[in-house]
Amino acid sequence: MRVPTLPLVREGFNAPGIEIFEWPDIVHLEVAGIDLSINRVVLQMFLVGLLVWGLFFFAFRRPQLVPSGLQNVMEAFVDFIRNQIVLEVIGRDGLRFLPYLTTLFVFVLFGNLGGTFPVILFPLNGRMALPAVMAICSLLLFISVGISSQGMAYFKNALFPPGIPWPVYVLLTPIEFVSTFIVRPVTLAIRLLANMIAGHLILSVFFVATGYMLTSLNISMLFGVASLVFSVALIAFELFVAGLQAYVFTILSAVYIAGALEPEH
Amino acid sequence: MSESGPPQEPPGRGGDIVWSVIGTLVAGVLAWGFIGWLLDRWLGTSYLVAVGIIVGMAGAFYLIIKRYGSG
Repeated sequence: MRVPTLPLVREGFNAPGIEIFEWPDIVHLEVAGIDLSINRVVLQMFLVGLLVWGLFFFAFRRPQLVPSGLQNVMEAFVDFIRNQIVLEVIGRDGLRFLPYLTTLFVFVLFGNLGGTFPVILFPLNGRMALPAVMAICSLLLFISVGISSQGMAYFKNALFPPGIPWPVYVLLTPIEFVSTFIVRPVTLAIRLLANMIAGHLILSVFFVATGYMLTSLNISMLFGVASLVFSVALIAFELFVAGLQAYVFTILSAVYIAGALEPEH
Repeated sequence: MSESGPPQEPPGRGGDIVWSVIGTLVAGVLAWGFIGWLLDRWLGTSYLVAVGIIVGMAGAFYLIIKRYGSG
């Protein structure tokens, strides 16, 4: 009699790595040596942009005094940014930045939510392009706010902190320059990017491993059940991170704008 | 926000200071580390990048204490 062998001989478990952020081109396009190819991430970017535009457009196309439906939902976003970010951080003077900050928040939020949305399952801000461009927008915005509210004295105030003996400026001015004009936008972008990359990797590893264990036909199946429960909990956590990172990106942009509006004291 | 209440720090400011302190520390190391590295390349030495990093850290600490120390 022959001893029954295992029905399935499987390869070892391969954890998904950073390659899950690479997508092949759908349309290859190159203009003047610049790669403008369209891949899945670019399509998602168009989709989210269209979605955010559509939400605001249809919510406020014919605004009612007593809002209902979509207008109610979108007013909740605007109110949240207005009361929790603009009025808290900048004050009434900051209300002219409400449109920028609200759009920023909603766009970052919907980009992040793609990471947990069925079928899409990819966080838009897990690629550097969008966080970088949005961070540069915030950088250019707070520099222009500084120049328009303080003139060229903005750079003097930003680079030469008051109350310090002048020889020390040799030491401190390079630090202030790097901290204000380089570290700020870079950390803004990297904080968002790294959170989204980490979240997407964790979700992928957990779900791939859960599938691997549940189909392993041995004792690992028990662990697979536990891992499945935990994976679902991780989705809830990722939803929380998506909102939190959108909030952090927006509030820090507001803090930088507030700092440019008035010189430090 | 009430107009007549006692002046109080808005709640968003706590996190703001934390990020600002971290940013200043990183900026100090980057700025003076870079200057040290440039000097190293220029003079053909190899220790000025370390000196730069330490100088940058000291400068960042000084700036943080000056700005947030006495409140």
